[in-house]
Amino acid sequence: MPANFGVLGAAIARKTATYFAFFCLLFWVGFPVYYMLITSFMDSPELGVKPPHWIPQEPTIENYREVVIGETGQRGSYGSTTEFSRMMPALLNSTFVSVAVVLSNLLIGGMAAYGFSRFDFRLSRFAYLGILMTRVLPALSLIVPLFIILRKLKLINTLWALIFTYTIFILPLTIWILREYFDTLARDIEEMALIDGATRLQAFRMVVAPLAVPGLIAVGVMSFMEAWSEFFFALTLTNSLTYPPLLMSFRNLAQVNWNALAAATTVGVLPPVIVAFVFQRYLVRGLSEGAVKG
Amino acid sequence: MAAVQARKTSAQERKHWDRKWIPYVLLAPAIITIVVVILSPLVTTIYYSFSNIDLIRDRTTFIGFDNYVELFSSRLFWKAVEINLKFAAIVVVVPTLMGLFFALLLVEEFVGRGIGRTLLILPWALPWIVIGLLWNWVVHSQFGALNGLLYSLGLIEKYIPFMADENWALFFTAMASAWRQTSFSAILLLAALQTIPEDLYDAAKVDGAGMRARFRFITIAWIRPTLTIVLLYNIVLGFLQFDAVWVMTQGGPGDATMLISVLLYRYSFINFDLGMGAAVSNVLGLITMGVGLIFVRLTYRSQSTYS
Repeated sequence: MPANFGVLGAAIARKTATYFAFFCLLFWVGFPVYYMLITSFMDSPELGVKPPHWIPQEPTIENYREVVIGETGQRGSYGSTTEFSRMMPALLNSTFVSVAVVLSNLLIGGMAAYGFSRFDFRLSRFAYLGILMTRVLPALSLIVPLFIILRKLKLINTLWALIFTYTIFILPLTIWILREYFDTLARDIEEMALIDGATRLQAFRMVVAPLAVPGLIAVGVMSFMEAWSEFFFALTLTNSLTYPPLLMSFRNLAQVNWNALAAATTVGVLPPVIVAFVFQRYLVRGLSEGAVKG
Repeated sequence: MAAVQARKTSAQERKHWDRKWIPYVLLAPAIITIVVVILSPLVTTIYYSFSNIDLIRDRTTFIGFDNYVELFSSRLFWKAVEINLKFAAIVVVVPTLMGLFFALLLVEEFVGRGIGRTLLILPWALPWIVIGLLWNWVVHSQFGALNGLLYSLGLIEKYIPFMADENWALFFTAMASAWRQTSFSAILLLAALQTIPEDLYDAAKVDGAGMRARFRFITIAWIRPTLTIVLLYNIVLGFLQFDAVWVMTQGGPGDATMLISVLLYRYSFINFDLGMGAAVSNVLGLITMGVGLIFVRLTYRSQSTYS
């Protein structure tokens, strides 16, 4: 009987500990995010009250209206448009850049990874190590020469500058993950296709690529997140064309409208958050393969 | 018969052509762009660090090690190193421990595990700039969530201006980085924990190993390679973080959160002293490359033990 009670007691203690830890996780992740969300549904007088309202008393979507339409409800001395009218174009730019980066990265990275996986030629090892070492370089330190190169190419303050740079900075990781995938895919099927008269490219397109789809998705999602989030290059190479540097410029205004800023932040993180949740499984796999084996 | 023969030879020829040229065609775009965008700027940065760059007269003069001498003898640089070491310490210790804690939680079976695992992805999915803003709301002196919480609980009489205090400012900028890295660490550690075979624990139980022994000799031993990688990633981030700190404090108050990366930004883009900026870049690059080399060596070692 006492033994039984001990086992039961241990089980209860374990459950309690588990749910306490779960609560810690919810609080740790949720608290900052929740506070931003409720701020985005408040007006500015309500934000200042002490003690704070943990649930907005009169929730308003005025902030979202300002961000999405670019107009405020009350017409002030500056007219009805606000600096937040730059938000929607920036989101469009971010979308364009991210999608372009995903496509070019998959194409160039996929080709290179396949090359590294299937052919062992003289320079391949050296080139491979070189590509990997670029992963630990501080991007910050390359910005000045990069700026000069891009200025010569007349790409400064264009989206192409960002697409170009992001693609290349993500390439090493892409090549690393995809090579692992191509290495594990059975070569027999591919060889058979070759014997049947398919060219390498046909074999790649029709046999290898479809089998590598999970790897391609993982890499695609990761490059999307990276391209959507990048701040420093976007700040220095363009005049706040994309979402992250624009957000920073809102924060630096003399009169920050914190509630509208919260709404702008929320709207702008929806794409990466939705992508991350939808592709959760691929993402976790890609992340751990990229990091642990890399 | 002849047709079959012809098809065979043409296939062989094609195969030969394949072997010879396709690899170069496949690799060329990646290698060329990486050389243009990463390697050539890298070489240029090294050259700049030995130069005095006069932007106004557009003149670059070679001055040897002068930039490095100036850098290593400046108090500002050593201050940045000291601040960065403190910052990195928090960004390494907090996410690794909390990440392990959350990963251990999320391998348990309980109602809510799915929600927990999904929620864990959230901080990782947010841009650094947004993480800086989120923590800005947490620590703000007039309407910060933390102040609000402490006030609601009756723990403080009036709001604390956290970001005006040098120590708090450094602590909270580091915590903002730790917040995202905790998720990253937990995701990786969770993936590693899930590969531990259950029989190992059963066998250990039969052999009379207690909970503590099982944790140390099975759990930790099994995830040690992942733990190493997580540590190294967190160290590298501790030295490369810029975005989240920049949006929260821009290096202030005073120089309290002036990481090496912030110093680099100040030299290059505020003072426009590109030579000094390049020198700081290279020092920072050497630090992270050093960490990276350890990381590559450890990876190769762990690979050779498996194969």
